[in-house]
Amino acid sequence: MSVSPSVVFPASEPDVISELSCEEDETVRLLAGGTALALLARYGFLQPTRLVSLRNLREKLGQISSPQTGALRIGAMVTLTELARSPLVWAAADALAAAAGLVANVRVRNVACLGGHLAHADPHMDLPPVLLALDARVEISGPDGVRWSSIDDLVSGYYQTTLGQQELITAVEVPVAAGRRAVYFRYASAAADDWPSVTVAAAIKARDGRVAEPRITVGAVTTSPLRLRAAEALLDGVALDDASRLEAACREAADAAGETVRPVGDVHGSAAYKREMLRVHAMRALASLFARPGSEDIR
Amino acid sequence: MTSSWTRITFTLNCRAVEAQIRNDETLLELLRREFGLYGARESCGQGVCGTCTVEVGGMPVSSCLYWAVQLDRAEVTTIESLSRDGALDPIQQAFVDAGAFQCGFCTPGMIMMCRGLLRDNADPSDDEIRRWLTGSICRCGAYPEIICAVHAAAAAVKSDAGR
Amino acid sequence: MTEIGRSRPVLEARSKVDGTADYVINHVRHRMLHAAIVRSTEPHAELAGIDADAARASPGVHSVLTGQDVAQVIKDPYYGPAFHDQPILALEKVRYVGEPVALVLADERHIAVAAAALVDVSYRGLKPVFDEVAASAEDAPLVHESLRPGAAFADLRHLAGVRGTNVALHTRLRHGDPDAAWDGGGQVFEHEYHTQQVAHVPLESHCAIAEFVGPDRLEVESGTQSPSFTRLELARLLGWRENQVRVIVPYLGGGFGAKLYMKLEALAAAAALIAGRPVRVAITMDEQFFTISRHATTTRIRSRVDDTGKFLARAVEVYWNGGAYADIGPRVTQKSGFIAAGPYRIDAVAVDSRAVYTNRTPAGAMRGFGVPQMVFAHESHADEIAAATGMDPIELRRRNLLADGDLHATGTRLESAATMEVLELLATKMRWAEEIDRGSGTVRRGRGVAIGLKAVVTPTTSAATVSLAGDGSVTVRQGTVDMGQGSSTVMAVIAGQALGVPPEQIAVLPPDTDATPYDMGTLGSRSTFHMGNAVLAAALDVKRQLMAFAAEVTGCSPADVSCSGGRVAGLTFEEIMSATHGARAGTLVGYGSYTPRTVAPDPKTGQSPAITPFWMVGGSGAEISVDVETGRITVDRIVCVADAGVALNPDAARRQVSGGVVMQLGMTLSEEMRYEDGQLTNPGLGLYKVPTALDVPPDIDVCLIQHPHPAGPYGAKGIGETGTFAVSPAVANALADATGVRIRSLPLSAEKVLRGLHVSKGRRLE
Repeated sequence: MSVSPSVVFPASEPDVISELSCEEDETVRLLAGGTALALLARYGFLQPTRLVSLRNLREKLGQISSPQTGALRIGAMVTLTELARSPLVWAAADALAAAAGLVANVRVRNVACLGGHLAHADPHMDLPPVLLALDARVEISGPDGVRWSSIDDLVSGYYQTTLGQQELITAVEVPVAAGRRAVYFRYASAAADDWPSVTVAAAIKARDGRVAEPRITVGAVTTSPLRLRAAEALLDGVALDDASRLEAACREAADAAGETVRPVGDVHGSAAYKREMLRVHAMRALASLFARPGSEDIR
Repeated sequence: MTSSWTRITFTLNCRAVEAQIRNDETLLELLRREFGLYGARESCGQGVCGTCTVEVGGMPVSSCLYWAVQLDRAEVTTIESLSRDGALDPIQQAFVDAGAFQCGFCTPGMIMMCRGLLRDNADPSDDEIRRWLTGSICRCGAYPEIICAVHAAAAAVKSDAGR
Repeated sequence: MTEIGRSRPVLEARSKVDGTADYVINHVRHRMLHAAIVRSTEPHAELAGIDADAARASPGVHSVLTGQDVAQVIKDPYYGPAFHDQPILALEKVRYVGEPVALVLADERHIAVAAAALVDVSYRGLKPVFDEVAASAEDAPLVHESLRPGAAFADLRHLAGVRGTNVALHTRLRHGDPDAAWDGGGQVFEHEYHTQQVAHVPLESHCAIAEFVGPDRLEVESGTQSPSFTRLELARLLGWRENQVRVIVPYLGGGFGAKLYMKLEALAAAAALIAGRPVRVAITMDEQFFTISRHATTTRIRSRVDDTGKFLARAVEVYWNGGAYADIGPRVTQKSGFIAAGPYRIDAVAVDSRAVYTNRTPAGAMRGFGVPQMVFAHESHADEIAAATGMDPIELRRRNLLADGDLHATGTRLESAATMEVLELLATKMRWAEEIDRGSGTVRRGRGVAIGLKAVVTPTTSAATVSLAGDGSVTVRQGTVDMGQGSSTVMAVIAGQALGVPPEQIAVLPPDTDATPYDMGTLGSRSTFHMGNAVLAAALDVKRQLMAFAAEVTGCSPADVSCSGGRVAGLTFEEIMSATHGARAGTLVGYGSYTPRTVAPDPKTGQSPAITPFWMVGGSGAEISVDVETGRITVDRIVCVADAGVALNPDAARRQVSGGVVMQLGMTLSEEMRYEDGQLTNPGLGLYKVPTALDVPPDIDVCLIQHPHPAGPYGAKGIGETGTFAVSPAVANALADATGVRIRSLPLSAEKVLRGLHVSKGRRLE
């Protein structure tokens, strides 16, 4: 950057919100872990004139609280390492904890936090599809108070969110459901440490011995995480103890996933390849879901 | 406050230090420019290679992506603090014994990463070591020797602890 | 007790693990200016104008230099080891995206970088050409108006002034009667193979600092792999004597060929000359991708094979994508052209190897020097022939492989090249006689082998001195650059063995052309052999002098003087020095220089009775798993058998081989410089994927075959590149074994594999 930004360290949420207001010739950004911000600044995509550091809100926004209201609450300043190690998260949403442990590398995870991860909105990122599959809600604070957003409403496109200039993510809440199973699959085609070609998250609950509230989400294939409702519908209500029917339903859902999404080709795979990888990994995710819960990293 | 500069105080290798920094300066730039600590180096500039690895608050971080302005009262540890009274620390010695480096450019970063691993997991498997070293690049290709060195260091640390 | 063949830690081990090892990026000179390069955004264009007013006006900016500014102080500002075709800063036109167009100098690096973004360059676009075959066609857009061979190589002189072509060099090899060899019985096989442009990715990106010390002395600190060349080239550009230029080289954070010949040094020197202050030019990792690379290639290989599997004739046509500037490309083209037909007994061989200019990042020397690309072609071709004729791949090679004493296609007899032994040990290590389970489900397994041969580059010279101080301590002054291959340690072992001194007590100084004698360069696996011989000669010279002194001191005849265990005639070196000088004083210097005897190849046929001082042989085997639903290849096991001569430091030699294997796995599976309309779309390590620990098997099985080379120092020869030769075709052959899919281009991406699998099932990926 040609001129270093000024930096402020507000001590409360209202102070943060007021510091985020900016004139036309200013670019004001939140500084949390700062890993993505450092990259954007170095490559000249962002030239902030002022940074609003969340350092003093680390404690307030860095808590993970146990499900009392039926939701797991994860503060926006929780680092990805804390998320990946939290016994509370493992107990309530193990696929999320496992997925958090796959993001980038341990050095980035030690610094980067959940709020920044979601606000960055890179379509290859790991957690948005998982959170979407878990019906997570994002708590957002702004000058008009608190509002809630689903993941797919939050992410509007390539590096774009619906956050206003003076809004910040303060927490993510994941509903806890007894008996819910979820998995996250991440496929990188070229090398082990790489952005994925395709990511798939899947979750189901059980009701009366049948699949209930199935969720199939994908990332890295389009500009934002997607829920594949048509594919989900093919699984809904299938009897859990009818193995062959279940397998057929998974196959149909996986095929539907491949057919209904229009992937965007990039350096990690052409559109045609991504479509096929989506079908393959949707199948693998669903098969794994019905075999055992967890998360798998295809390296 | 509209200044582009900030005065920060933090702990560096167990010493209290102060520095005047540009607000967009990274911890890596600060360590090299102000403190002449050249063990951490810039390579990829994107946090994916590990040559800039240092510890902040006892955890390995990519110092090339770490905003120095966030450091207030933090504890920073670099490779330079590992050897004491001329003796190499067990991980460093294990790297020497295994020949776990060639050009040496990635080595301080690798060692700092391995420190983090052994603190987390005293007896990691091959697979756990390789996964931990995601994002730590050795272009000279010394991965097999590095894995050996970590096993040897784990054993040495365990036997040191046993004494 | 011999020092030879004892594995030991490298001399500088401690400094590499404690962070104190010295790299040029750490260096600071008083009043040093920092630079940022303004680079072309066009692949091929005339330079219409450079507007640097805003940049110049930025606070902290010292100046902005263009090619015109450089031409004011350097008369003919074009450099290059083979062709003087590369301007220090672009003049009149730009020839690739990323070509340096202007240089911003400032008090601090971040100021220079920010100001560089303010420099506005305008272009008049020209038609570009990117493909090596297309660029060699007659109607292709011309990258250079005429060829400008440099003075260094006599065999290129005839090219001076040649116009109207992008083919910088066309080298030919003709062995036997290749024109007549295509008739008769047997089968003819023809295949075309492609390899991609690859980046070296030394983790320490290049950096050079230049300072004019006084009116007629230039000092350059650089991560160069060729300090002597850098000195002579800078002297040439300045019109100065070599003894007015000093080049200093600390440790390198990797080289692999990226830091050879002239890279940033001329730019730093020109800037320092204009600015009147020291100038540091350092590039980022992303910028490495705009500086130098490994040649992409197209290779067409045709063979006539009889019904016993014997190769009767072979014709190879290679197009080397040299990018915008020749660098050492012509040598890669020629030297790898020599071995393009493979390590096989073939009566009739024709090779046509062409270095072609295109509008891409320049290509030059990268570990292997063109051999990995050639071995990919001839070893894939061998397996395709085996598959078509129903022969076992090892048996096919056995039937055709050159043995020691056989005549190679260059007309030189193979000597001290353990080809047969490498092949047999490879087969054993791969348990080739045992059947393997290739699987029937989602994961299929397969194995493949390959073997490659390289002739070390020649003629080259290395010189060294070994000196004794008054206390008898030994110092070696030599110009081989230690970039992690353990060369300084090897030189200490050689000198130590010759003098009976423990290598750990020997000081091997870092290259400094004011003190260390001439060396052609640290490249092509030449240093152990050439510099090792020079150091050995220098040490023996010291020994002779010591023996003469000892004879004087003790009164016995020189022939009777014993020399062992660091003592001469029973006296320590210190005692001899003291006695000779009357006090603790003096320096005793021994000198050695080594230039092997070889015969330059005939320009029309490439034939020579002695084309190389030594051969290198490397065989690789790979066991892989393929996920047939995704196409992803996992390498489960890699074996590399290397013909090592005598390994002076066996563990270090093994690590060179396995390091080369790891690097080559990257080229095989994941690395590729990608372009869209001449724009490189993946510079930097975020998008260009080099292997990490999870991409390689935890163990790489390296076997060294050791037979002393008659001309090597203590029988040693080069091994630094051997690990790169045969990995790519071994994996490609394993892929064919596992799935029946043959891929003829690198990298073997998952998508290519999947498309191949779909095709084989009559499907298509849509």
